[in-house]
Amino acid sequence: MATASVYSSPGFDFSNQIRNNFLAEKGLPLPKATSTGTTIVGCLFEGGIILGADTRATEGPIVADKNCEKIHYITESIRCCGAGTAADTEFVTNLISSNMEMHALTHGRKPRVVTAMTMLKQYLFRYQGHVGAALVLGGVDSTGPNLFTIHPHGSTDKLPYVTMGSGSLAAMAVFESGWKTKMSREDALQLVKDAIAAGIFNDLGSGSNIDACIITPNHTEMLRNVEMPNERETKEKSYKFRRGTTEWKSESIRKLIVSEEITPIGGDAMDTS
Amino acid sequence: MSIMQYNGGSVIAMVGKDCVAIASDLRLGNQALGISSNFQKIFSVTDRIYLGLPGLATDVTTLRELFRYRVNMYTIKEEREIQPETFAHLVSSTLYEHRFGPYFIEPVMAGLSKTPSGSFKPFIAATDLIGCLNFAKDFVVAGTASEKLYGVAEGLWESDLEPEDLFETISQTMLNAVDRDAYSGWGVVVHVITKDKVVTRTLKGRMD
Amino acid sequence: METSFALTGNGYVIVAADTTAARSIVKMKIDEDKIKTLSSHLLMAHSGEPGDTIQFAEYVERNIRLFQIRNNYALRPSAAASWIRRSLAQSLRSRHPYAVNLLLGGYDTAEDQPHLYWIDYLGTSTEVPFGAHGYGSYFALSLLDRYHDPNATLEEGLATLRRCVDEVSKRLVVSPGKYKVKVVDKDGTREIEF
Repeated sequence: MATASVYSSPGFDFSNQIRNNFLAEKGLPLPKATSTGTTIVGCLFEGGIILGADTRATEGPIVADKNCEKIHYITESIRCCGAGTAADTEFVTNLISSNMEMHALTHGRKPRVVTAMTMLKQYLFRYQGHVGAALVLGGVDSTGPNLFTIHPHGSTDKLPYVTMGSGSLAAMAVFESGWKTKMSREDALQLVKDAIAAGIFNDLGSGSNIDACIITPNHTEMLRNVEMPNERETKEKSYKFRRGTTEWKSESIRKLIVSEEITPIGGDAMDTS
Repeated sequence: MSIMQYNGGSVIAMVGKDCVAIASDLRLGNQALGISSNFQKIFSVTDRIYLGLPGLATDVTTLRELFRYRVNMYTIKEEREIQPETFAHLVSSTLYEHRFGPYFIEPVMAGLSKTPSGSFKPFIAATDLIGCLNFAKDFVVAGTASEKLYGVAEGLWESDLEPEDLFETISQTMLNAVDRDAYSGWGVVVHVITKDKVVTRTLKGRMD
Repeated sequence: METSFALTGNGYVIVAADTTAARSIVKMKIDEDKIKTLSSHLLMAHSGEPGDTIQFAEYVERNIRLFQIRNNYALRPSAAASWIRRSLAQSLRSRHPYAVNLLLGGYDTAEDQPHLYWIDYLGTSTEVPFGAHGYGSYFALSLLDRYHDPNATLEEGLATLRRCVDEVSKRLVVSPGKYKVKVVDKDGTREIEF
């Protein structure tokens, strides 16, 4: 509970747990945290890494956000795609991004992708899968391009091309048929776009647009909505209501301008006599 | 029947041209039994930020008090008013703090943020019950009638509505959506926020 | 089954609660007072888990009294409702929560207005023109919705209450026999023969 005390301990607050268990015992099931169906991918190419993601966020069968961002910032040359519990991916990448910045500042050099990967896996392992983040981590550092997947329980893989989320099977099928070693930047981007598109059109947990991020040793290019294959047609008619359609019973107006003073510029000089 | 449906209630926020609107129903129930037809779920945080808290009614009050406390602390420490973007993150981190024992609330925010040039930019946002932010450019919904609100709003909303037109659009969206939800209704309240005033209207709706 | 009603009128709040104390299927007592007088202008009807109700009501009563002694003025109804709600919400987060439902009726002497708050064991609190708890609420709330008048005189208010009590006795399977009725208005609280 929030009291007037100044100090509040960091980390999670479990004060509602007893109450929530009590409510669950009374036959009111606890709502599940919103989990996002997703297609996220990453792939190596000659000279760097490309990450890709769809932009649909779901709450059960409902599309909650049609154009959300799933490629999260870790450092300038390391990015991370998130699938699973939406809030967890958001907060875990934010936390690691912050820690990576601190790490860079204390050591005075660019942090490596393995560092971010280790921080993430140790954090996720500590929470034994209860922090439900499934991640694709990619970036370029002094050792070259690196690509990892990190599972919610803290296990990791290092592979040349990876997919995750509910659309991972559709996307992986595309990678398996099209990926080659030492691909050009253009070919790799096209492959990533095709993989995400496979997720968008064949997995109902994924949809809307394609985001991509190309990371090379000295440049990171975030391609927000590179492809928009599901753009909404503009409505043919306006559905504006005639003013006065809605009947209302009472009205109160809160004026935000307390006073207004207009000072004329120029004009008569002040009377000083 | 989940805890989120125990008391009923819904909130929606929409963006217009240099204005935003936020609306909620007024019902408080105990499952199917109606208790109050004047239960406010929308609270003003600052002059130009309004916060809607649909969900479990006890948490509506608890969180309202918690946010008031935290915003007051922010105002005192920073010696300035909180901006909508900052407030959205305050809400988000407060809810995520309770990741493993959540409050049963899905907040919806609407407000106008100050730009460096001194003008105001519309802002709306919503989070799920553990604080995952959703910044939308059109509308956000939450509560027991959220599925219906998504449908109606998707059909009726259009960009650059003037305050009076936005009032009609949000009101009709809300009224028609809650009529198809047994747990929401019993009156609707709408707030339209513009740069120099906030107009609050109680609508005439079905009382069944 | 336990039932309590309350309604506001022109300058007063009527609070009524049944007087049976039951344990399982046995009536242990038929003259239990379930309406606490918290201060000169504040009444609180409590129902719920036996034991919890009295324990919590007395805890509230003493804290409100303590506030009055310390500060030399009584909490206004809205402030009292806030404090009571918070106590319940805090209790719900403890290992042994109080399972108590309340109707808090008070007269605000500062603004000369009656106030009624409906509070349940989860810490849900809302100001209402009329309210009820228990199985009787399923019958009474519809009657109160039809017959309640915020400007009714005390006699008219009591007549509306009579309708509720009669309906509950007529239709509820295990209806309570007797009710205790208390009123709070500008002159303070008093019990009414009903």
